[in-house]
Amino acid sequence: MRVGLFVTCLADLMRPSIGLAALKLLEQTGCEVVVPSTQTCCGQPGYNAGERGAAQALARKLVAEFSDCDYVVVPSGSCSGMIKTHYAELLADIPDIKAKAEWLAARTWELTDFLVNVAGLDDIDARFDGTVTYHDSCAGLREMGVKSQPRELLSKVAGLTIREMEGAEQCCGFGGTFAVKYGDISARLADLKCEDVEKTSADALVLGDLGCMLNIEGKLRRRGNSHTKVLHVAEVLAGMTGDEIE
Amino acid sequence: MAARENILSRIRAANASLQTGDGAQSTASRLAGHPRGPLPTMGWDPLQRFIDCSIAAASTLDRVDKREGVPVAVARYLSENGLPMRGVCWPEFADLDWSGAGLEMQARSANGDDKVGVTGSFCALAETGTLLLLSGEQQHATTSLLPETHVAVVSKKRVVVCMEDAWDLLRKEVGHLPRQVNFVSGPSRTADIEMTLVYGAHGPFRVHIIITDE
Amino acid sequence: MEITSARFKKVASQKLADPKVQAALANAKGRFVVARARAIKDLDNFEEIRQAAADVRDHCLANLDQYLEEWERKATAAGTIVHWVESAAEMTRVVLEIARSNEVRKVIKSKSMLGEETGMNEYLERGGIDVRETDLGEYIIQQANEHPSHIIAPATHKSKDDIADLFAQKHQRPRLDDITKLTHEAREILRPHFLDADMGITGANFLVAETGSTMIVTNEGNGRMTTTMPRVHVAISSIEKCIPTLEDVSLIMRLLARSATGQSISNYISMTTGPRRQGDSDGPEQFHVIIVDIGRTRVLGSDLRPALRCIRCGACMNHCPVYQNIGGHAYGWVYPGPIGSVLTPAYVGLEKALDLPNAATMCNQCGVACPVKIPLPDLMRKLREKQTQLKLSPASQRAGMGAWAWLASRPFLYGLATKVAVRLGKLAGGKESMLHRLPFAGREWTRGRDLPAPRGRTFREIYAARKKN
Repeated sequence: MRVGLFVTCLADLMRPSIGLAALKLLEQTGCEVVVPSTQTCCGQPGYNAGERGAAQALARKLVAEFSDCDYVVVPSGSCSGMIKTHYAELLADIPDIKAKAEWLAARTWELTDFLVNVAGLDDIDARFDGTVTYHDSCAGLREMGVKSQPRELLSKVAGLTIREMEGAEQCCGFGGTFAVKYGDISARLADLKCEDVEKTSADALVLGDLGCMLNIEGKLRRRGNSHTKVLHVAEVLAGMTGDEIE
Repeated sequence: MAARENILSRIRAANASLQTGDGAQSTASRLAGHPRGPLPTMGWDPLQRFIDCSIAAASTLDRVDKREGVPVAVARYLSENGLPMRGVCWPEFADLDWSGAGLEMQARSANGDDKVGVTGSFCALAETGTLLLLSGEQQHATTSLLPETHVAVVSKKRVVVCMEDAWDLLRKEVGHLPRQVNFVSGPSRTADIEMTLVYGAHGPFRVHIIITDE
Repeated sequence: MEITSARFKKVASQKLADPKVQAALANAKGRFVVARARAIKDLDNFEEIRQAAADVRDHCLANLDQYLEEWERKATAAGTIVHWVESAAEMTRVVLEIARSNEVRKVIKSKSMLGEETGMNEYLERGGIDVRETDLGEYIIQQANEHPSHIIAPATHKSKDDIADLFAQKHQRPRLDDITKLTHEAREILRPHFLDADMGITGANFLVAETGSTMIVTNEGNGRMTTTMPRVHVAISSIEKCIPTLEDVSLIMRLLARSATGQSISNYISMTTGPRRQGDSDGPEQFHVIIVDIGRTRVLGSDLRPALRCIRCGACMNHCPVYQNIGGHAYGWVYPGPIGSVLTPAYVGLEKALDLPNAATMCNQCGVACPVKIPLPDLMRKLREKQTQLKLSPASQRAGMGAWAWLASRPFLYGLATKVAVRLGKLAGGKESMLHRLPFAGREWTRGRDLPAPRGRTFREIYAARKKN
């Protein structure tokens, strides 16, 4: 089973440990993991900004890069959602690519969903001593149906306790370009998310999308909260929750 | 009539370009066959469901054996709640012994001064605790609307499962719609101020349902 | 109604900073959401019903000409006088003509969004007609000379205290401090108007083709009053409200109140077919229905078509994190929230509402709550694409996205550029690895929050190095 890992541009740039953690987890399942070296961005920023042409160019590139994989796995609900639920529509008017895009969309999985429902990963070789609360990112939840999968995996991490927050499914206000176009509204939504996180007194907020991570962590620190860790679910599951990136 | 033709031709043009029209055949058959949509599972006893949902809709209920028992039940309800012992009723109840129950009841349509209105009902919906009232010569719409207290009489046999059943009954027994069909589910209410529920917005403050067992 | 959508961003920021608005929104927030969630549990096949309702609405739209003609045939046969109008100006003119030809001095009005769209009240008042809104929320808004901030809870932005002050001033009565008393005072004030108004105006939740009926749904009973007491009744309805049969009414009624207020059914569903019949003791002598286009046929032929399925429940705004925090006024026209972000550009022009399709996080909390499955984020994205095509989006955004796509399509250059960028980013982040102030577009980000800094190396270079070893 040949599994292509799409790291996402955001993780590539901002938090490479997420990609490394995802890689480690996929290797643990015994799959053959390939990481196309030319991968960059799935085109979502342009797509959601109404820049269809820009999005199409990047989507075509990604479809070609992963065309020899049995699965595409992405440590992000929103980027996997982009491929799975939007590529077919985005590439619909390019006849020779459309079928490939649909084929790829059907094989694209969010990381935790893949680990639970395809790879059947049972043993989690990781330890986290503390309480975590999980934020359901919008695209992961509503496009990819990711809800129980990360919780199921996290519950197998030694030492870890999950404490649910109120409004876990409420949007954190990131929204891609929304965050830099409507900063006041975006920051308010992030504030409310931070309140819900802090009310749980969890040691860490865990989530599956880097966009939301940057937004919520940035808001927590601005609020003066330096103690609540903000971690990607892959980092926790791979036992890579320190500052080291290698 | 230019507007009519313009609008209809724009609709046709819009639909033609999207090739979505199902054709006259399918609209005609839908209108004639009026198929039901998917229904939720309704595994409950209709009468019990009607009672439960009426209470949930803030109506109150009473039961009598026969319609002749209605005046006494109305009198009991009004006096227990300190309400006026007079009002108006639909003509179908003019023959009942209201004065014998201590009530002054006139069989006419209601005006703004009437405090109590007694109506019958075409049928009642178990699914939602709803009364179905038809307007008509003998079924004054104002009686269930203007008075502060609305008392509705419904026969146990006229409790149907859901709105779809009510339409079928209406098609079978009346064949056409009267000027107005009103579904009433409890007293008038609003939550327009700070989302706080208040009864008696413009219509009745209370709806009391008397179920006759005959 | 005046369109102020161009000031969205400014008004939104004002509303965020206004403690009174925030208190009112905080009170409403969650209540609708919780009530809906509870109400839909009562339907064990909710998703099946929801899909069927979406299908019915699509079927109506696909055959709208035939259903409207059938509706007209049946309505006319029942004695309804049917008018067709294409524009707002035509609609208000027809309403005023009906009023004048019947020597109408006073109108009582039940809630109508179409009335808001067309500025009908103001037009009638300029024509010398006394118009009384009767829905409590609409009445409050009319007294305060404001616009609704929510389609089913128009005065949700006002507190009890605001309303107490308003009523004391307008009613010239002692100030009340209790919501029940305020509600009953409005009842008392409005009751005589119901009894002596010459004409009633209502909207229509639906037109039922099978029977030629108009249908309205209310909780207060003002809809029943308005359709029963005055001697003339005028209903205004846009074309897309037409549905085929009474069974379709039943289907949609299982969803409407649940999605709106969390009730299993609205208090009053009133189906009106023609004027007072021979022998009837009540009901209007004349019943007019005005069928209105105002932009609907344009939307029908566009890729925004699914928006015409809308049954006006308000669930999309109730579930929208943006609406929940800024309220309805910033949207600047009749329909706030996600559906407004689609309908406002569609009906009044994209150039007048550039912010609306963009001011959404694409979280799709609206889309999953919509009882007729309108894909609201997808429709907003189509409007964003249109802005790009028409060069209405900011030039900097178009340039930025173009540059990003150019770079990201060239893996080698991308690798070089990102290597430099993440090193600079790490430096700027300092010891705490946090960026506090960003330049350019990033300023909007760091005004309200920090940004965790890059770690100094990209995944791609770490991975490449690892492979080499």
